[in-house]
Order: sequence, then C-alpha cells, then structure tokens
Amino acid sequence: MVRYASFLGCQIPMRIPSIEIASRKVFERVGLEAADLPGYSCCPEPVISRQLDETAWLTISARNLSIAEELGVNLMTLCNGCYETLVEANGILKGDPEKMRIVNEILKGFGREYRGTIEVKHTVEVLYEDVGVERIKEEVVKPRRIRVALHYGCHMYREPEGGDVMRKPNMMRELTRLTGVEIVDYGLERLCCGYPTMQADEEFSLKERLLPKLRHAVEAGIDAVVLSCPACHIQFEMGQVMLRRYGINYNVPCINLMELLALSFGVPYRDLHLEFHRSPVRKLARMMEDV
Amino acid sequence: MNVEEEAINYLRRGLGSDVLDAAVMRERRVSVRVKPEALRRAVELLRDGYPKLRFITISTVDHGLDFEFLHHFHIGGTILTLRTVKPKEENTLESIADIIPAANFIEREIADLFGVRLLNHPKPRNLILTKDWPDDKRPLRKPFVGELPRQARPVAEALISTGCVAPASSFIQRRRESAGLPRTPPFTFADEESMKEFHGVIRGTGLDEKVGFDWKSGKLRYK
Repeated sequence: MVRYASFLGCQIPMRIPSIEIASRKVFERVGLEAADLPGYSCCPEPVISRQLDETAWLTISARNLSIAEELGVNLMTLCNGCYETLVEANGILKGDPEKMRIVNEILKGFGREYRGTIEVKHTVEVLYEDVGVERIKEEVVKPRRIRVALHYGCHMYREPEGGDVMRKPNMMRELTRLTGVEIVDYGLERLCCGYPTMQADEEFSLKERLLPKLRHAVEAGIDAVVLSCPACHIQFEMGQVMLRRYGINYNVPCINLMELLALSFGVPYRDLHLEFHRSPVRKLARMMEDV
Repeated sequence: MNVEEEAINYLRRGLGSDVLDAAVMRERRVSVRVKPEALRRAVELLRDGYPKLRFITISTVDHGLDFEFLHHFHIGGTILTLRTVKPKEENTLESIADIIPAANFIEREIADLFGVRLLNHPKPRNLILTKDWPDDKRPLRKPFVGELPRQARPVAEALISTGCVAPASSFIQRRRESAGLPRTPPFTFADEESMKEFHGVIRGTGLDEKVGFDWKSGKLRYK
C-alpha cells in the first residue's frame, strides 16, 4: 500500500471541504493511505511570511515537515500553494545546513527537529507516479461524458531548475482524461487566474485575468472547468459572482480534480456535499448522472 | 578593560536583567538597550558612577508602532547611548529632567514634535509649537501602522493567532460535521498543546514583533 502524510492546507478543509471528502474517498479506493498530520498549521502562506521573514517562513514549514517525518512518511499536498511552500522550504533546508541549524535551534525549544529525510509531492504526482494510471483506470466505473477546460494553477508548473514545467500539468491532464471527459484546449491554460492580485487590484484581477480565461473557455464550448488548486478554485467561483457587479454574467461549474475522480469512481454526488461550492457543481453532477 | 566594556559591565551590574542588549558598536561608541521602566535608574547609575558624565541629547525614532528613545551621554571620550523602545499605545516618555536638568528642553521638543506625553516633567509645556497646536498634527509623528500592507493584515493575523489562514468559523465547523467530517482537521487550533507549540515557534522567530501582533487581544496592534 502507498502511504503518505496528507497535508490538507487551510482553504480546502475550511472553505471547500467537499474536496477533502472527495480526496479521502479517492485515496481509499485506489489504496493510498493518507495519514493526517496532527497539529499541523498553515504551510505557511508565502506571500506574507516569506517576504517578511524568511526564517519564520522556513521554521513554520519545517515544523509541518517534522510532523510528517515523525510519522515516517513522505508528504503530499492537495493545494498548489502549499506544494510550492513546502517543496521550496524543504529544498532550501536540505541544501543549506546553516539555515537548517537556525530553524532547528528554534524548534529544539519545543522538542522538535527536522532532519530533512522526507520528500514533498503534489497529490497529482502521487496518484500518477505512485498509484499509477492503470490502478486508477480500474476504479473508473462511470466515465463522465462532458467537455472540460483545465486550469492547472501557476504553482503546478514549479520544477527544479532545468526541469520540465509541463511534467505535473501533463499528469493532471492524463488523470482528468481517465475520468472519461473530453478536454477542450482554450489557449489560455497558462494564464494566472488572478487570485494573487485580488487584494491589490480587484478589477484587474477579475477583468484582466479571470475574465479572458472564462471567455475563451466558454467560447470553446465547455461544460465545466477542472482545477486542482483551492485558491484558484475560490477565484474562479467567487470571481464569477463578483463579475456580476460589472454586468458580466458567467456561471460555469468549477470542479476539483479529486471530485471529478470520485464521481467517475461511482461515488454518488450527494456523498460529496458539493453544496460547499459557489458555482453550479451540483447541477453539473446531476447532469452527468443523466448522460 | 577599556571604557566601553567597563560602562557596559557597570550597567549590567546595576540593572541586571533590565539590560536587554548591550554592544560596543565601534571604538568609543556604546549602545545599551534597557527596559523602559529601568531608564531612570540607568541614568541615575550613570550620573552616580561617572562624575564627568555629560548629557548630549535625546533622539527619537518613530517606528510606526513603537517609539525608540535614544539618550546619548558622553563618558570620557566615549558616547554611550541608552536605548528604550515603548509602544505608541502608551505614548509616554519618562522625564529625566530631575536627574539631568539639561534634558528639560529636549524632552519638551520631543513632546512637541512627536506628540508624546511627558511623565514627571517639571514644566510639560509646549516649547517650539504654539499653545493652540492641534494634538493630532505633530510634525514628526508617523501614522500608527506596522510593516504589513492593509491587504496582508487579516492573513497575518489569522496565521499567528490560529495557525490557519482560512476563517475557522463555527459555522463552517458545523457544516463540516453535518457533511460527515470531523469539526476541524487536526489543525494547530484544534489542540491546545499544538497551539501552544506553534505560538512558541512564532515567538521564537520574532514574527509576532515584526508584524506588530498583540498576544493579549490575539490581534494585530493596527487595523
């Protein structure tokens, strides 16, 4: 059995728990043991903590990593933002003994130490590489015949220097394809959804980032957008609501890859509690049942 | 032992743990950070221990959330600076004019320019500003804000207080429960020991001071 510590992050459990529900069901079905991380905190959110104080950023990350290390397993994240933080912090700590020493000096006061023995992966990588496409394919009993646009999320492209930035997006594409959907290319897959600029300039974020993506995707004739990042998900769902203030009306269902996988595994949509969404995902799920 | 080190040791002996930090910055330049409540005692110690002590001036730095007062003294060719940091919420400066009369005018000037209230000053009247100068328009006083831009404040506040940057409301916890999930995942805030440890880590990194977090209220000191 494949065993990982599952880092849920903040946004999924507290804003879109249906993704957590779906993930737990998917992991169970494919034989992936996902251990909870007792006492974990925010990864932490890098825009503030990293810019403000690198030591604080590394120490909070190292504390989270040390919890997984204590469990004796590698760590996987569902959220792209957490992935970036924890992968980068892990890389810095492993490559810089002085930073590791400073961080452990602080953690020592609380009986903790991070030794740098674990790896961090995105759930997409774990499903694709560790579980395997064939194993997942076995579970797909209800292929979903809809047309979808993919939004990978910027941090999904993060790779070590010289790495193939499309490595993880291609995995996500492949996993999505397994669910039976038709993937529609709309040309703006790599454009940021606008989430990071939301606080600085709402109108720019909505009209210059989210809107072009929605427009191109809808013109391409999609039924839904498939995402893996909860922050992007919030931007896509709340952004459509906010765009109405500007007289722009979109109501595209936005579904997480884990939810789509769970549905294709035959999990009844009612069990996923899709009512946590702010876009018509339940309607989409009902429609898929009928197709 | 040179003058610089001797002065530091002298203050450490007299003030004990009220000396927070002390360093010889360079030749003939000493900086000693003391607790604000120990400032007057430090000045008395210097006056009593160094007959040729000469008071130079007091500098004030407005850091946004705190005032830093730098009392400069001359001891036999060496400049010794007593540094104290006081939160702007207190907005006070303890006068040393009764110990060092020459501090009288500079303290009044500081009060005028920064809007700081003088404690125990013999004549706490305006010195360079007119009597009717408005309290809320002090020439050198900065707004009461910390390092974080407005948009980042709620996130930093949530990160430090709960360890989770998404709203940990009881509403969502109830909804999680009704969906068959535990009320919360095993977050820091769900367990007292983990929360204590996390807060200790935050204190250990100094992030709380850097962003201006008030532990008593569990919020940032500024909106």
